[in-house]
Amino acid sequence: MTNKNKAYNSFTVAQSQFDRVADMIELDGASRELLRDPLREYSFAIPVRMDSGTVQVFRAFRVQHNDARGPSKGGIRFHPLETQDTVRALAMWMTWKCATLDIPLGGAKGGVVCDPHNLSQREQEQVCRGWVRQVVKNVGPSIDVPAPDVMTSAQHMTWMLDEFETISGSKAPGFITGKPVSMGGSLGRTEATGYGVVFTMREALREMGVRPDKTTASVQGFGNVAQHAIELYDQIGGRVLCVSCWDQQDQTSYAYRKPEGIRLDELRSISDRFGGIDKEKAASLGYERLPGEAWLEQEVDILIPAALENEIRADNVERIHGGVKIIAEGANGPTTPEADLVLRERGTFVIPDLLANAGGVTCSYFEQVQSNMNYYWEKDEVLGKLDVKMTHAFLGVSRLAKQRNLYMRDAAYIIAISRVVQACHDRGWV
Amino acid sequence: MTTNDQPLDEILRDLRERAKELTCLYRVDEILHVPDASVGEAMDKIVARIPEGWQYPEECRARITLGDQCFQPLDFEESLWRQEAKIIVEGEPEGLVEVFYTHKKPAADIGPFLEDEQRLINSIAERIGHLLSQERLRSALASWQEATKQTQSVGHHRWKVIVDFLRNADEKLLARITRRMVNHLCWSGYPGSERLLRALGPTVTDPEDSMTAENRPSLRFGPTDATEFTNETFECASLHLSDDEITDCVQRWIREDRTSFLADVLEDPATSIGEVADALERHRALALDPGTLPSPLSTGLKVSLLRRCFTDQVDFINTAKGFVEVEDFHDLLPKVIHPSRSHGKLGGKSAGLFLATQVVRRGQTEESLLQGVQAPKTWYIASDGILEFIRFNSLEDVYVRKYDTIEHVRQGYPHLIQAFKHSAFPPDIRSRLSVALDDLGDRPIIVRSSSLLEDRTGSSFSGKYKSLFLANQGTRTERLAALLDAIAEVYASTFGPDPIGYRAERGLLDVHEEMGIMIQEVVGTKVGDFFLPAYSGVAFSNNEFRWSPRIRRNDGLVRLVPGLGTRAVDRLSDDYPVLIAPGQPTLRVNASVDEIVRYSPRKIDVINLRTNRFETMDVAEILRLCGTDYPHLRRVVSIVESNHLRRPVGLLPDTESADFVVTFDGLLGDTPFLERIRTILQLLETKMGTPVDVEFASDGDNLYLLQCRPQSYSLESSPSPIPRDLPRNQILFSANRFVSNGRVPDITHVVYVDPNRYAELASLELLRDVGGAVRGLNKVLPKRQFILMGPGRWGSRGDIKLGVSVTYSDINNTAVLIEIARKRGNYVPDLSFGTHFFQDLVEAGIRYLPLYPDDPDTVFNEGFLRRSRNLLSDILPECEHLDETVRVIEIPRETNGRILQILMNADIDEAVGVFGSPTESGEEGGRPTSGEPIPESYTPQNHWQWRLRMAERLGMELDGEKFGIAGLYLIGSTKNGTAGPGSDIDLLLHHMGDAEQKRDLKLWLDGWSQSLAEINFLRTGYQSPGLLDLHWVTDSDIERRTSFAIKIDAITDRAQRLVLKGESG
Repeated sequence: MTNKNKAYNSFTVAQSQFDRVADMIELDGASRELLRDPLREYSFAIPVRMDSGTVQVFRAFRVQHNDARGPSKGGIRFHPLETQDTVRALAMWMTWKCATLDIPLGGAKGGVVCDPHNLSQREQEQVCRGWVRQVVKNVGPSIDVPAPDVMTSAQHMTWMLDEFETISGSKAPGFITGKPVSMGGSLGRTEATGYGVVFTMREALREMGVRPDKTTASVQGFGNVAQHAIELYDQIGGRVLCVSCWDQQDQTSYAYRKPEGIRLDELRSISDRFGGIDKEKAASLGYERLPGEAWLEQEVDILIPAALENEIRADNVERIHGGVKIIAEGANGPTTPEADLVLRERGTFVIPDLLANAGGVTCSYFEQVQSNMNYYWEKDEVLGKLDVKMTHAFLGVSRLAKQRNLYMRDAAYIIAISRVVQACHDRGWV
Repeated sequence: MTTNDQPLDEILRDLRERAKELTCLYRVDEILHVPDASVGEAMDKIVARIPEGWQYPEECRARITLGDQCFQPLDFEESLWRQEAKIIVEGEPEGLVEVFYTHKKPAADIGPFLEDEQRLINSIAERIGHLLSQERLRSALASWQEATKQTQSVGHHRWKVIVDFLRNADEKLLARITRRMVNHLCWSGYPGSERLLRALGPTVTDPEDSMTAENRPSLRFGPTDATEFTNETFECASLHLSDDEITDCVQRWIREDRTSFLADVLEDPATSIGEVADALERHRALALDPGTLPSPLSTGLKVSLLRRCFTDQVDFINTAKGFVEVEDFHDLLPKVIHPSRSHGKLGGKSAGLFLATQVVRRGQTEESLLQGVQAPKTWYIASDGILEFIRFNSLEDVYVRKYDTIEHVRQGYPHLIQAFKHSAFPPDIRSRLSVALDDLGDRPIIVRSSSLLEDRTGSSFSGKYKSLFLANQGTRTERLAALLDAIAEVYASTFGPDPIGYRAERGLLDVHEEMGIMIQEVVGTKVGDFFLPAYSGVAFSNNEFRWSPRIRRNDGLVRLVPGLGTRAVDRLSDDYPVLIAPGQPTLRVNASVDEIVRYSPRKIDVINLRTNRFETMDVAEILRLCGTDYPHLRRVVSIVESNHLRRPVGLLPDTESADFVVTFDGLLGDTPFLERIRTILQLLETKMGTPVDVEFASDGDNLYLLQCRPQSYSLESSPSPIPRDLPRNQILFSANRFVSNGRVPDITHVVYVDPNRYAELASLELLRDVGGAVRGLNKVLPKRQFILMGPGRWGSRGDIKLGVSVTYSDINNTAVLIEIARKRGNYVPDLSFGTHFFQDLVEAGIRYLPLYPDDPDTVFNEGFLRRSRNLLSDILPECEHLDETVRVIEIPRETNGRILQILMNADIDEAVGVFGSPTESGEEGGRPTSGEPIPESYTPQNHWQWRLRMAERLGMELDGEKFGIAGLYLIGSTKNGTAGPGSDIDLLLHHMGDAEQKRDLKLWLDGWSQSLAEINFLRTGYQSPGLLDLHWVTDSDIERRTSFAIKIDAITDRAQRLVLKGESG
């Protein structure tokens, strides 16, 4: 193991990302010191009596990166080889994400080292309850609010909430988000991410002086995010010409194109739960079937990568049509750094994932707000508030980008870090 | 046929006669089987019916004489022209059937009578004889019971009453019993008994005399007065034995005597199934209490019955005799349809199910969970029914077809099916099927093959024959026609190309194959237009696909689907069954909501009663159409609400608005279903002495067993022998934890992701690139001939450092997925067991193996993996920067032409990867099991040889100049000699011409492609629109070494250039 210390480490990467922005805004040493590492970390053990009668001990973490702007917020992951460093990196990312949206929350992340594939439901419940028992003093509606993440679901959240309420002797639905709607979850969560993408897109077009009903788009993916993005984009008058999706049977992806515009209800009726479109039925409805990557070669105004990471890369970025004005990152990390450089050169307007797909986090925040006041909004109200919040956030980032002639991605980071630093200063921490 | 040289009208007349005779016989049968009719009435009716069967009915008269009774029509008159047959009752002639012609008729075979008419009258007499025997037994029994009652009231000297009764009822029986009493007294050494014995046989006073006389027939004393002797014997007995003892003895002997006819029938190899059935019917009529027969006798009967009905296989009989009783056959044989004089059996499938049902039934008394577990109503056709069918329709030609080339067999098969379908069933079989149909009602039925060869070769064979679902709707005539049609089709499948090819490969062509048929009611309920079970599936005693180290092999495995079980039995390419280990029901394959939903069954097989067809439908569609009428819907589905999955509580939401997904959570959580399956598996495994697999279905209320067989029957789960004392340098790796059964031969390439180097990669991009390299290799390396070995968890989500980030499509061509757990510090990381795409692996048959190189007693030849030449940058030049981490090793190049074989044996929990010689078995796997030579056209290597020949021919015909082709190359499985029956021929075309030339060439090649596909279909049965897979490369591709161009001068798996027209080889 000669070059062990050079080995990839996600926390190191997150720190260097921060360092770059810190350099750009000439951040003072103390603030750097404070923000480079988490504010608090908890590491603990959860002993669980297994179904077989034996006891197994699980390692668990909670990292609160920064709570200067409000209670910490972040998911809990069940992962077999969870490391403290991964959790640290993700907690830091949450701080920036909330700050970009100007949501009054800090960033946190937690995890349990376990593989739920090896655990029964009862054992998983014990892990959840054990987790709450160990950190109950350091979490809560006004301290740190967990949420579901990798391999955790609404069910896990409900168990955790029940344990928390049992210990605290009172009802506190605001302790956790991602609950089933019947248990204090928020309406509109299904739509939130897709709609959020279009809210930011709409604002970008407005700034460019282009009417949405004069635009066309091509979408990568046909899952939840993509379908809702298309739904709202349709409503504001845009036309989607092409969508791509994964074909389970052929184990490859295809793009489906209709020059006069795809029809969402029609495609929804011939797609499975995971957004796989039936290729025979699509053909009979007059859709042209192309190789999957054709989605990014279309002559459209907007590209919406809404499924996987690393879809726009150095090897295909050149194939993006010159007429494309906006790329709205509905997926997490769809653009590689190399491709990012090319897009920046070409002057393509990229709405970074940090902003474009933040509808989910925002909706989580709304769930927390509703739970805390124990009063729940109708879906329209949730989505209306989402529009306001996302528009406000977009305008903040884009204004900064224009003023300082910054790439949108950098502007989003800068605005986020600046807001957190400001809060720390206001509190007199640094 | 023998009638070839007869004039046509003669043949027609013959046929008419035969039909008449048969009709006559049926009428007689009908009359004889009217319950509770008196013998006199029956005889009167028969006498009236007999003339119908003779050539000149108008002038034909019949008479039946029984003892001093005579039955004849009013207009009866005797004449010179007479035919007769004796009526035999219990071995003694007791009457006569006679037929007369009132006037002289033209001479025929025997006087004016036909030979067939003699046979007919014999059969009629025989049947009357059977009836009378039965009658007599029944009345004897009745009076016996009467007598017993009397003796009980009298209270003493019951034996006297018995002896008196017997003297009146059955003197011969009394004689036999007296004889046994003498023996009994004598063996017990009671004084006075020897004298009796002497009275019976020769005196044995002079031992020398008896010694020297051994070759001479013994002398016998003349018969003494029987009555006196009997009295004397019993008087003697009463001196030594109590009244009870004597009565017990006599009762036992009478009982044994009563069943001796059954033993006689069974032991005589000449008796037919029909006679066995008759004898059993008689036995049933005796209404003996089970268990009253002495054990050796009943065991003997059981063994004979098992042999006659099922198989000669010693193992089966040995097991089965412990669980069946003679009485169990009472219900079986009346449901067996067979030709007259049949010696057929019921076949392997029937045997397995019969045995399993009996085992479970006997277990029910002790285990309440087994209550209600049953087999569906089933009728059988004996295996020689097909021979009779063929004989009846003169289809004998089919017997030799199996020796024809497979192309011809395949070509002729559609015609053969039609020929069979247009053939008639022998009337007796047809009429019995009609009875069966009445019994089964108008519920859907399945016609299943139950072949005799299955016994020899295991179940991998049974899948080659057809099983057909029938909706069984419509008029009676339509339903019978559909049933006959289905049976004919199943019969035809015996001569189909797949089973013939399979038999040829295994040297079983010369083995005589017969096909039994099971006609089984389909388990399920009617919902709207559909008929379906709530759920069905297959359960295995041994779990060969463990998804967690906590699951033990004997925790078993259940593949569960909604609707008909066809989708659980076969591997699915487009869907997934729900998998559960009955021993660890809480450890599920899929943990997250997304996984559970993604791997839930989406399709369902049902019978559509409106269209009369078996159909595959979307689960969503069925739920939409059936709504909450779906049987026990609550137990079958869960409701998805974004990231939440819940079991329906309270009123079920309507199926239109709620998002249902099949999870069986209700069934598994709220019912004892799984425990019941586990109990059945354990019981069957214990009693049958081998792990089993069981097919089952439930209409929602009851659980039905549909099939049961030893699990080792399926090829892939048989343990591979692990050779000992292998030189260490011949082993690539060995494993001794979590091993499943199987054997993966002919691995030519290893892709090794070095765990240490992978851990040291410095950036996320590099880590991702490793996934990209695997993706690229998966496309290029020969399918199912390479293995992937990598650190930790393949397809890990969330943290890329735990394992290479791939999706299923990136690894779907590998033969084996291997995860390596290297020790870090003092702990060994958990492996994924393939959970990220576990169900995809299962359905595709990709094996999984975990390696723990740091365990003691394991071999991990890291030197070989690290030192061998790495071909990565030759194959994927863009991945050169990863060549420290990802190593591609061509095994034959490093080992002097050897290949890698992975042998896995779960019984001893060991697996080993060894270098060995190629097996030449291509994709089909499995070598012939016997030493018989294999016909040339069936050998697997033929698939690629033929393709190679065709590709070379194509090259010779291809005008390179005309089409702008600079070079034609062969790549892929044909070039590598691994092509299977369904493989493409991959051609690489170096094209320099213009678009028009390319278009013309495409057209030209398209013709080839279609023709080759057709020929391949005839040879193998694999259908495809075209056989050629074309890959076009240009000069610039070659220069830039992009896409397939790299194959042209590749280091490994290099493309083979084909000679074009006009070029010299």
